Amino acid sequence: MTNSIIQVEKLTKKYGDKTAVDHITFDIGEGELFGFLGPNGAGKTTTIRMLTTITSVTEGKAMVVGYDVSKNPGEVRARIGVVPQQLIADDELTGVENVLLFAKLHHVPSEKARKRASELLELVDLQASAEKKVKTYSGGMKRRLQLAMGLVHDPSILFLDEPSLGLDIQTRAKMWDYVRKLNTENGITVFMTTHYLEEADALCERVAIVDGGTIKVLGSPAELKMRLGGDLLSVQVSEGPDLRGFLESVHDVNEVVKSSSSSYVIKIPRIEKALPQIVDGISQRGLKILDISFTRPTLDQVFLQVTGKQIRDENGPTQAIPLLMEKV
Amino acid sequence: MISDTIALSGRSLKKWIRNPFSIIPIAIQALVWLLLFGNSFNPGSALSSSGGSLGILKEAFGGATNYITFLTPGIIGMLALTGMTFLGVDFVIDRLNGYLDMLKTSPIPRASIYFGGVLQNIVKAMAAAGITFVVALVVPNGLRLSSGFGITNLLGVFFAVAMLTTVFSTLFTGISVAAKSTDSFFAVVNFLFFPVAFTSTALFPLSFFPGWLKPVARANPISLASEAARLVIVNGTLSAAQLSSYLGDILGLLVYAIVFTAMGIFLARNSLKAD
Repeated sequence: MTNSIIQVEKLTKKYGDKTAVDHITFDIGEGELFGFLGPNGAGKTTTIRMLTTITSVTEGKAMVVGYDVSKNPGEVRARIGVVPQQLIADDELTGVENVLLFAKLHHVPSEKARKRASELLELVDLQASAEKKVKTYSGGMKRRLQLAMGLVHDPSILFLDEPSLGLDIQTRAKMWDYVRKLNTENGITVFMTTHYLEEADALCERVAIVDGGTIKVLGSPAELKMRLGGDLLSVQVSEGPDLRGFLESVHDVNEVVKSSSSSYVIKIPRIEKALPQIVDGISQRGLKILDISFTRPTLDQVFLQVTGKQIRDENGPTQAIPLLMEKV
Repeated sequence: MISDTIALSGRSLKKWIRNPFSIIPIAIQALVWLLLFGNSFNPGSALSSSGGSLGILKEAFGGATNYITFLTPGIIGMLALTGMTFLGVDFVIDRLNGYLDMLKTSPIPRASIYFGGVLQNIVKAMAAAGITFVVALVVPNGLRLSSGFGITNLLGVFFAVAMLTTVFSTLFTGISVAAKSTDSFFAVVNFLFFPVAFTSTALFPLSFFPGWLKPVARANPISLASEAARLVIVNGTLSAAQLSSYLGDILGLLVYAIVFTAMGIFLARNSLKAD
């Protein structure tokens, strides 16, 4: 990892007896796109509020851009950009006025601020609506505007709290493009919370899955998915001899489950290499393949595994997975 | 800090100026109050021969020729008070919709968030005062300025008004910045409103108050500003004795403003620190 831009050690927040965030520890490297995932109430927003100096730290330590959030909140504030999950852009002001106000509050000289505002509004495709009042904007436009508001002072790190909350699928994908572009082209470190797992999967280099105020697992989406055992191949064949022995002998296969008299589910890190061998082996044994399909693990399944619950109903795991999940 | 304060108050003032519903009601309200109180409470109307002027009561009413002349500074003060109670709610809304959190992540002094509110409310209240003054001049049997009333006199009147709006703005912005909900804000405001409005000499001179209430009425900020403004409206250029009375009133308002500002900064620091 490159230099750490965020270092969090045993960070804890208690509200009375309730512990919202419980001794979490993690590091984020410069230029990284880091996702903080979890269901509502997991402690995501409390964590982001501590890192952005809105909420005080009960215990532990958080360093952001080299400064302690408790001891030097002013230094932290000058270097971070924050995009809250609420829609806070002022309805009665125009888009560009909203951006310029935050430039002023971050003491960006006015000429530079104008230039930067127009660049950012172009980046988020709002240049045509820049002079219109925000009350005429759609929800997606308001979210994009807030992105520009959070970036106008050229922060080293951008905190995005649920950036695509309430957006439809198309607008959400567009939002991801902007975030990706900011990260890759402008080199801005991004710390985002989300409860859309496919969002984290599509965008983030590393994710932490939080639940009940603690980090359950941390790693790249690919790593985490790999830990589930990789791809799942389901194959249904004509009646005949048991194939378990053969399937288990195929190179790299981790596990074989016979789900009915002639159906098998095979767990394997990567399906590509093994597939021809499996198909040939089955026909050599005089059996016909009646149905074959495979699924790649998703973050939803990782989430289900580490938290024991599903984050939401849609895009849930396929039928074959719970079968194996119980054994994992 | 000053530029932050101006930027923050500019946000609110821009919205306010663009909204016709923020200006027109002030004029209507001024008209209603002046006509309603100006006629219903007019002691001159009880005098059969006065034709609405204060007649023999003139001296009791600080030398004002008619009741609206006496009443105008009082109505300006009352409107500053009612206006402030509504303007203060902006802060509570900003807190509830997350705007204050966004401000908290900006590298601006916490006090500038408070002063931004104070400044915008003063500007709005001064605009309301200006409108009320003009309305008072044009209503029938309305405000009669002293002969030779000039620009210095006008400044004298509005300086007293500015001091009063500063007192109210520093107080109510402080309350609103500390309030966690609209309910708690209005609870405090309602508690303050009637005592402040009706123990003042906005509607009647001090001599009308019972003895035990006189010190309270005299020290009421609306009274201080009304008395100071009336001196200038009725007399124009002030004599040395009148000037010292005027400055005494201004000093009283200044004390209030300093106390409320200190309180407001304290409340702002407390309510805007990391929670």
